[in-house]
Amino acid sequence: MTDQHEVGPGADVASPTSWSIHLNDVSVTYPNGTTALRNVSLDIPAGEMVSIVGLSGSGKSTLIRAMNGLVPITTGTVAVGPHEVTHLRGRQLRQLRGHIGMIFQGFNLAERTSVFRNVMVGRFADTPTYRTLLGVSSERDRDLVFAGLDSVGMLDKVWTRASDLSGGQKQRVAIARALAQGPSVMLADEPVASLDPPTAHSVMNDLRRINGERGLTVLVNLHLIDLAQQYTTRMIGLRAGEIVFDGPAAEAMESDFEHIYGRPIKSNDKLAN
Amino acid sequence: MTDTAPTVWELPPKPTNRARIALIVGAIATFTTLTCLPVIGGVELDFASLVDNWRNGARLGREFLQPDLNFLPRTYGPMLETLQMAVVGAGVAAVLSVPLTLWAARQTNPRLATRQPVRFMINVVRAIPDLVYATVLVAVIGVGPLPGLITLILFDIGIVVKLVSEAIDAGEHPYMEAGMAAGGTQVQINRGVVLAQSWPFFTNQWLYVLELNVRISAILGVVGAGGIGRLISERRAFFAYDDVGAIVLEILVVVIVIELFSNFLRRRLT
Amino acid sequence: MTVDEKATPLGVSIPAPPSRLGQTATAVVVGVVLLASAADLDIDWGEVWSIPGQIQRYGRLMFTDPDWERLPRALFETWRSVSMAWLGAILCVVLSIPLGMLAAHGVGPTWLRLTLRAVFAVIRAVPEVVIALLLLTVTGLTPLTGMLALGIAGIGTQAKWVYEAVESVDDGAPEAVVAAGGAIAELARWALWPAVAPALTSFALYRFEINIRTSAVLGLIGAGGIGSMLSNYTNFRQWNTVGMLLVVVITATMIIDAISGRIRRRIMEGAKQ
Repeated sequence: MTDQHEVGPGADVASPTSWSIHLNDVSVTYPNGTTALRNVSLDIPAGEMVSIVGLSGSGKSTLIRAMNGLVPITTGTVAVGPHEVTHLRGRQLRQLRGHIGMIFQGFNLAERTSVFRNVMVGRFADTPTYRTLLGVSSERDRDLVFAGLDSVGMLDKVWTRASDLSGGQKQRVAIARALAQGPSVMLADEPVASLDPPTAHSVMNDLRRINGERGLTVLVNLHLIDLAQQYTTRMIGLRAGEIVFDGPAAEAMESDFEHIYGRPIKSNDKLAN
Repeated sequence: MTDTAPTVWELPPKPTNRARIALIVGAIATFTTLTCLPVIGGVELDFASLVDNWRNGARLGREFLQPDLNFLPRTYGPMLETLQMAVVGAGVAAVLSVPLTLWAARQTNPRLATRQPVRFMINVVRAIPDLVYATVLVAVIGVGPLPGLITLILFDIGIVVKLVSEAIDAGEHPYMEAGMAAGGTQVQINRGVVLAQSWPFFTNQWLYVLELNVRISAILGVVGAGGIGRLISERRAFFAYDDVGAIVLEILVVVIVIELFSNFLRRRLT
Repeated sequence: MTVDEKATPLGVSIPAPPSRLGQTATAVVVGVVLLASAADLDIDWGEVWSIPGQIQRYGRLMFTDPDWERLPRALFETWRSVSMAWLGAILCVVLSIPLGMLAAHGVGPTWLRLTLRAVFAVIRAVPEVVIALLLLTVTGLTPLTGMLALGIAGIGTQAKWVYEAVESVDDGAPEAVVAAGGAIAELARWALWPAVAPALTSFALYRFEINIRTSAVLGLIGAGGIGSMLSNYTNFRQWNTVGMLLVVVITATMIIDAISGRIRRRIMEGAKQ
């Protein structure tokens, strides 16, 4: 017995315009004194798929979180699309975040509840708080949730408890959550670091497909060389908080990676076959 | 027995906490002595009177252990009231405890200014024993189950909010970062995902508090706040210890039944 | 719940959501029980609305000008309650440690274990006030009664914590003692005690914290201490004294909780090293 649910035509077809990202001389120093980013300037045009490569501690995490304000910036400016992130607070910051989808290394799903509720998190920015409090979701919200899950092939698992899923499935649900926002930018912080090689490839494929189909600007933090080269067009290398490489991913050579890592390449810098 | 001299071992110095232990023991001994001095308010350890009254007590004790089961029908009404107070008290407290808990936990309420007052109030509420609430409320509202009900609600809220907010703060909630990144407000994140994640903590404490309520509401009547307590007090005053025995037996049975029911529900809900 | 994978031209099919029947039924039953109980209670629900106003009025009577002149007497009675609590805790701990150990798996014979546990369960189920009322016949209406009631009533829970702590000890040390030919007493002293001493000390302090509250309660039924002072002045409707007494009770309890809590934390931290 199926539940024939007709999704309205506007649900997943019309994607909002994708945005560009501009960082101008951005530095981030944490309260404990560590400087994570030093004078980083970056221009990413809308629709590009970019990888950010570097060792842990190079500032990748900080860089990606500076873009949606999860990490406050010490100096410089960050602009995402038409909005300047640096001075946004409260409601405006939340509205901006609604346009930026983000997925994480640890998936960040609520394990005890269903996939549906997890993806519905993506609708928060667009829903008035009182509605969330009452636990009522609109028809449109549900459509967007189902559409997001469908585009990553997880629709049949919509009522499953999140903890019952495999790692790759969880990350897909996270992607669906981000897609349900109707984002203009997609940020991915080490999305495949916890996944085995075939699953990692398949998730990276999903990201590339989303970039291609929707023209969505995608930024991916990676620490694996071959994934960066295989799935992204442009690669940015970070070392000790500074950009040391910025160019086409396919053309990067081993010497470039050594420069980014500050050491010779090791076998675990590449994904095992 | 040999003639050789005993072996002399060169031992490393034995680590002792002598000074520290002596200090702790001394402190405890002093404290204990002070508690036994009636002149400053300590307890008078008059074991002589204990021995004197022993025979009297033994007689009444024997009566107690032979409960008069014919008395039970008179207890059914008050016992029902006891249970009703316990159930309604737990229910109301459960509902009120949800927003208060979310306010009191740091992870669900990062704003110190709204969190501290709630935590302080909860600590004050917890510092007042149940029967003290009942006594004062009876004087304010009057005799009956209402002061008892309010007592139970306050008492339960104190327990649930403290324990569940501590459980929430002790745990990891990585999914909250996803909620923030998606542009949700703290309230949306709390209602949308945190509540679902923390539900087992809540139901666990609600059931615990239900069990506790039955025991507490059984004695609130002693100060006039409803339930079977009034009957216990009355029967004891008449030295009808066989009746008191019957009541206590009934309380025992009810408490055990509730505990079993609560365990059943716990397994079902988790 | 079957899944129809065929996508329709206009939309997609979603699997049917899982049945909420069990949950709804439980909620209905709970709701009915609550409402029926509330309705049957001998409470004038119309009066409930006036309660906050009344509490405010009495709150003002109690706390705007507390009777500090009686503070010395209040402190005297507080020490009486604290003494009851302390000595009662000592009695309880002294009785419950050997009894609890005997009731643990692997220490004593099964018949003893089961009997002891049944006794503990019965003591646990009977409210402390009832135990105190029963003891009144032997010891009269004195703080000694209070102390004995606290000592005996607490055995139910305290002994349970003891045998739970003993059972959570690793089997290594107890096995070694038994293998070397040790009897129960030696087992207790050389294997069990060092392992559980920190936990038991912590529980003993916690028993003291609980007793502080219960001693005030016993005072209300006449055992002496701050409870009886509270009971008297409430009956006399001397609200400014009642207010002062409540402040004393709250402050004393919170201070003792804080100190005892800190000591307990240090014990447990020391134990972990």
